Amino acid sequence: MNDSSRREFLRNLGIGAAALPFLTGLPSLALAESLAKPKQRLVIIFSPDGIVPNTFWPDAVGSNFVLKESLKPLEPFKDRTLILKGVCDRVKGDGDGHMRGIGCLLTGTELFPGNVQGGSDTPAGWSSGISIDQELKNYLQKSLLTRTRFGSLEFGVMVPEHADTWTRMVYAGPNKPVAPLDDPYQMFGKLYGQMKDQDILRSVLDDLRGDLAKVKGSIAKADRQLLEEHLDLVRGMENEIQASRKQDVGHKVPALEPGVRRDNDNMPKISKLQLDLMVSAFLADSARVATLQYTNSVGQARFTWLGIGEGQHDLSHEPDSNKAAQDKLTKINHWYCEQVAYLAKRLSETKEPDGSGTLLDNTTIIWTNELGQGNTHTLDDIPFVLVGGGLGFKMGRSLRYDRVPHNRLLMALAHGFGHRVTSFGNRDFCGAGILSNLS
Amino acid sequence: MIFAIGASQSPPPKPKKPPVAKVGKTGSEFFASSCAPCHGVNGKGGAGFPKPLVGTRTVSELSKFISKTMPPGAVKTPPAQAQKIAEFMHEQFYSPLAQERNRPARVTLSRLTVRQFRNAVADLVGDSKPVVPGPAGGLKGEYFKGRDMNGGSRALERTDAGVNFNFDATGPVPGKVDAHNYTIRWQGSIFAPDTGDYELIVQTDQATRIYFNGVEKPLIDAWVKSGSDTDFRAHAVLLAGRAYPIQLEFSKATQGVNDDATRKKTPPTPAFVRLMWKRPKGPVEPIPAQYLFPASNGPSYVVASPFPADDRSIGYERGNNVTKPWDDATTTAALELADHFAARVRAEVGTATVPPAKVEELKANCRKFLERAFRRPLTKEIDQTFIEKQFRVSPNLETAVKRVVLLTLKSPRFLYREVGGPQDPYTTASELSFGLWDSIPDAELTRAAASGELSTRAGIQRQAERMANDPRSWTKLRDFLMLWLKVDEIPDIVKSQKRYPGFDDATVNDLRTSLDLFLLSTAGGKNASFREMMLSDQQFLNGRLSKLYGGNLPPDAPFQAVKSPDRAGVLTQPYLMARHAYLEGSSPIHRGVLIARNMLGRVLAPPPEAFTPLPASLHPTLTTRARVAMQTKPAMCDSCHSLINPLGFTLERYDAIGRIRNAENGKPIDASGSYLARNGANVKFTGAADMAKFLADSDETHAAFTEKLFQHLTKQPIRAYGAKTLPNLQASFKKDQYNIRSLMVSIMMASLPAAQKSPQP
Repeated sequence: MNDSSRREFLRNLGIGAAALPFLTGLPSLALAESLAKPKQRLVIIFSPDGIVPNTFWPDAVGSNFVLKESLKPLEPFKDRTLILKGVCDRVKGDGDGHMRGIGCLLTGTELFPGNVQGGSDTPAGWSSGISIDQELKNYLQKSLLTRTRFGSLEFGVMVPEHADTWTRMVYAGPNKPVAPLDDPYQMFGKLYGQMKDQDILRSVLDDLRGDLAKVKGSIAKADRQLLEEHLDLVRGMENEIQASRKQDVGHKVPALEPGVRRDNDNMPKISKLQLDLMVSAFLADSARVATLQYTNSVGQARFTWLGIGEGQHDLSHEPDSNKAAQDKLTKINHWYCEQVAYLAKRLSETKEPDGSGTLLDNTTIIWTNELGQGNTHTLDDIPFVLVGGGLGFKMGRSLRYDRVPHNRLLMALAHGFGHRVTSFGNRDFCGAGILSNLS
Repeated sequence: MIFAIGASQSPPPKPKKPPVAKVGKTGSEFFASSCAPCHGVNGKGGAGFPKPLVGTRTVSELSKFISKTMPPGAVKTPPAQAQKIAEFMHEQFYSPLAQERNRPARVTLSRLTVRQFRNAVADLVGDSKPVVPGPAGGLKGEYFKGRDMNGGSRALERTDAGVNFNFDATGPVPGKVDAHNYTIRWQGSIFAPDTGDYELIVQTDQATRIYFNGVEKPLIDAWVKSGSDTDFRAHAVLLAGRAYPIQLEFSKATQGVNDDATRKKTPPTPAFVRLMWKRPKGPVEPIPAQYLFPASNGPSYVVASPFPADDRSIGYERGNNVTKPWDDATTTAALELADHFAARVRAEVGTATVPPAKVEELKANCRKFLERAFRRPLTKEIDQTFIEKQFRVSPNLETAVKRVVLLTLKSPRFLYREVGGPQDPYTTASELSFGLWDSIPDAELTRAAASGELSTRAGIQRQAERMANDPRSWTKLRDFLMLWLKVDEIPDIVKSQKRYPGFDDATVNDLRTSLDLFLLSTAGGKNASFREMMLSDQQFLNGRLSKLYGGNLPPDAPFQAVKSPDRAGVLTQPYLMARHAYLEGSSPIHRGVLIARNMLGRVLAPPPEAFTPLPASLHPTLTTRARVAMQTKPAMCDSCHSLINPLGFTLERYDAIGRIRNAENGKPIDASGSYLARNGANVKFTGAADMAKFLADSDETHAAFTEKLFQHLTKQPIRAYGAKTLPNLQASFKKDQYNIRSLMVSIMMASLPAAQKSPQP
């Protein structure tokens, strides 16, 4: 827990308990919500190094399409899935394909010139713009009706320790990369640390009172008054904690499997922990926007649990003619797709606390990538697979576009939230307005 | 105003004489003749009526009561006489106020002051070595070829007085390092002169990052150079008197794929890098060399949560009350520290089940923590409650450790001064360390307590002397001196730009450093000499100050001692003269009050009503001296100002920025003054030097200094230690040739019960 949330903690204990931002279901908030439209949420999931086109893209356009091997796990949600082909990252400028791929993916604008040299092109730095998730977070946090404790949560799975253009997707603004939290225990601390601390504090108060009483008895009479006053303060704190817990009609703190170490082979476990935490956070309405970044652009995860020993990025450079490598890449994307499907499943099984359907009804998941295809490093046909509801898109379709800039999709997401931007990122790519044919 | 009330404690208040009645006897005389025979002197109780005469009646109620009931028998006291007696009794001993006033001072239970709390927590956690800022420090600089910082690529190692470089196209080490592609690492420590929020700033057109205070994550991370930003900042709360490890890295190389071949096709470009800071209330400036050390210190744990200020109503910070904001702040701090340790546990033992041996090791560490926090060995009972029980109820080790930390930092045994055990050598050790360092005992002191050395007066003296020579004592003494000079809460000093062009925030900041260096070289010097501090003709100037204050230094000269016939001791230091002055003019009243109250320990009542000083523009031909004399002439002012003004006038040769002047408004400066000493002598001064000489030699100054220092160290009133303590300390101060460090040792010895009781050597 950082300093400011720590301070928030004690403020929350006091009279301010009625305004505890992390407790939902409070009468005042519930009332406000009943006047508003249903909650809307957005999840962006990133996996790296491109996909294998012929096992990924459906052949047919429209609602009558077949999910190929890479997308098979989404079969149960096919009627709630929307696959967009032909959406391209058209942003040019400094940085190699992987750098621009991740750095412009959610920002739609150029990288600054800098000192990070890629495998080709000129060196670059951070993105020169805000990413769409942060833009939407800011938009939602502005209104009392949509404000949540965190606004957005940035999850990661096995993101390398170093901060550079390849490891950052989310930007709070120009030159302001946001590091994803890839340690589920740290994320847990962020989400539930305050409640845990309250529990711990409350549980030691008895011992503390006993200690104070004992010391009080051992000192000169004339000095006891001070410790008596101190005891009163301890009693006061106990009452405050009790009062704040009574108002806590919130949600159970999830139990986390302990001791999962940050380790390549634990990637499936970490992924599950993070997805479960995300669902819990949505249930508690701690945030309406979330991102989840698997490894990084140029990610080198080794999918040993699928029987694949090579790193993903190395494999992704193999030519189309290398059938074995393409099969492995398909398996890898199939695995990522399973993670998306698992999240969709959990969301679809979880009811909104206000009874307005399931979490998935009000949550749009977008699964994407920094490249269209690994061995060509193309930024054309960036995969965008959408699952769920909430933004008013017509789902259960496979769509084809003609090299449209992805800025128009980012704009469409904003519009989906009622945030009617006229451009997002580089304005040159926004002229034709939001992506057509979505709703 | 800080010492306003504190000063009134010395000398102990004498019962005021009732107003002399023009006719007849006074209340005191009536009481002595008619009441005291039964009720005792001052109504303390006598043969006829043993109970003391105390109560809550008002004067008129008391008067009526006396005339109705006293004395026993038929003839009662006439009302006029009863009124006089009632007035006397009420004022002297009867009323609750009088009782409070007459109560003998005693050593009272105190909690740690905020300063003590922060230092104690820092020393519980970190392993920072105590240091004193030196005149010529710097950082260790290592210059590397290429992007990697390893021994093989190191081309140069040296100490740099600061980081403020413009490298041209030949690079930092011409001929040895390719100017396209080099990396520099500066390592060492930064000293925080004051407690507060510091901003660290790196300005560079290349990649940079700062690792600070032992934290793994960089405090500033611009290792990815991106866009045209050249200014990178971060905040850190720092405690005064500590040096914090810092590592600054700078790279002109690219990251990622090596592109040396491409870059070498174009000529190398120049580059710059500067390490700056913004001290509390200071301007952005390159970190001065005296606050940089080439050796890396251990990290300090800083309690970042804000605390309410301690009570200072009687002249010194003390922990005499507990309030909800204070209690909340201690809880926040305890939770912060619990988190800190929990993270360590998580990193070291993970969250999975761990072998029992590891659990025992963790418990052993908790015991050490507890022993240091409570300043004594643990009893079995404490061990059971604070450790065993917490690990028992919480199988999750992180939670168990959190519980231990919370309980410990919230326990009165940590929060209060010496309540956890008997009066024993451990108590003595703790009194010594809080007295001299405002913190918990170090390993050596704890060892001395355990070995029995602190059971003898000689052993205590030895430790006190060791500790008085430790940098931490200087930190505490400096706190005191700043308070004594009324510059402890860093003042905002602003001067008229028309009158004093060039006197800006940077000047004020330099002047504070200049005062610091002056104090360090006198009070903090080899002889810790009080007289030197009061009399030295030194001032510390750098190039920037030299422009305003003389000394003929080159513009970029670092701070150095410059002798000047215009300076006479600490009082005449420009920072103090500027602090105790107005926007345009000097202020003899502020200066006089500082001398009267803080140096001479005189009691001054606040003015009977609020006054605005006469604006100089109303009397353009008058000197400041004449104007002040005119305004304070009325009799109701004169009772105090006849003391204040002639003291303050002696500093009239120093203008509002502490520069020397010989004339004002075309009239020559009259810096003569006087002081009616407590022994009745009317001392005349021709100017500041005279006055400084008097203060340096005066018993009055020595007594006031001793008393205030005593209270600053012990946080207790000196009167609580008996009437002889002050004169005895004053005598030893004189015997030790006014060595302030020796006085600190004497004060500790006089305040420690163990040092009183144990056999004299």
